[in-house]
Amino acid sequence: MTPALIALAAAAACFLVFFVVHIGGLRAGFENARWLLISYAACFLGTLVTAILLTAWHHGMQAIVLSATMAALTSACLFALYVPALYTVLTSLSVQTIMLLRRRGGALPEAELYERFASRKIMEQRLATLLAGGYVATDGPSYRLTPRGRAIAKFFRPIKILWNLGPGG
Amino acid sequence: MKAVCLASAMTVVLLVLVTLCFRFYPSALRARQMLFVYLFCLAVLVAIWLATPADLGFLGRSLLAEPAWVDFAAAIFFFSAGFFGGALQLYNLCDRGFSLRILVDMLEAPADAVDVDYLTANYSSGRGLVWMYRKRIDDIVAARFIGQANKSVMLTAKGDTFADLFINAHRVLGLEPPQ
Repeated sequence: MTPALIALAAAAACFLVFFVVHIGGLRAGFENARWLLISYAACFLGTLVTAILLTAWHHGMQAIVLSATMAALTSACLFALYVPALYTVLTSLSVQTIMLLRRRGGALPEAELYERFASRKIMEQRLATLLAGGYVATDGPSYRLTPRGRAIAKFFRPIKILWNLGPGG
Repeated sequence: MKAVCLASAMTVVLLVLVTLCFRFYPSALRARQMLFVYLFCLAVLVAIWLATPADLGFLGRSLLAEPAWVDFAAAIFFFSAGFFGGALQLYNLCDRGFSLRILVDMLEAPADAVDVDYLTANYSSGRGLVWMYRKRIDDIVAARFIGQANKSVMLTAKGDTFADLFINAHRVLGLEPPQ
């Protein structure tokens, strides 16, 4: 097995373990964002260590740079594809809409959907998520940005301007 | 390592091309526009990979991935992941992100602290939540997941299949689908 194949196999195998562990954690009731990061950090470390050790054992030290780079990048790419898919399933309002329709016999009045997904309640739910994530803080009955939330908003605003996207949302 | 170099360089080219398209050829179908740019860049990437030597003229012997097909497949995978997991998600987040828009609205609000009513009424620079949800309904109608008639919304056969898929995904994750 060449160093490149060792890297790809190590990344794929460790990512499979991460996938199972992450889902197991979610099913056990762990908080998603934190568990996602912790389990992936362990997976990434495991990928690097496995690729480096196997490559050093079979091919010597010279091939380690290639193997470690390919393993790290493959793992990062798998994670970059996994996270949006996961959050689409977890938080997308479009996905929630079609799931709700399926569970309610396939059809609903528009007014009922708007009442559920375009109301004050959905804003309260999302603010609760942002509060739990540390992006906003309560200020009496109001909310204000934390430094973390402000940094995120300030990071993305220029990209929206650069890409000519308008307010969006 | 040729795969890493070419995929990284092509991802930078893709981001520049997407930026130029968004600024100089604005379209309502931006995701489709991005997909065309991706396919163009992918074709260029394949052509460059086939036309260049394995060492790109500067890589050491220990940095050459073998067999060659692994390097070729890795180049396509790295570049595609950069697009579908990077550039396209960045666009989705900027253009459609609900939470991100709330944070930006709070940043642009006249006061440091704002309440739920303010955020609900002024979502997306004053467009409001009804606009936000209308946009999502229009998108899933355009994607033929749902249809509309007599002020009602109904699943299509395609929507039904995808709904089952998402409901099963929720069950795998140990979550209760909405009802």
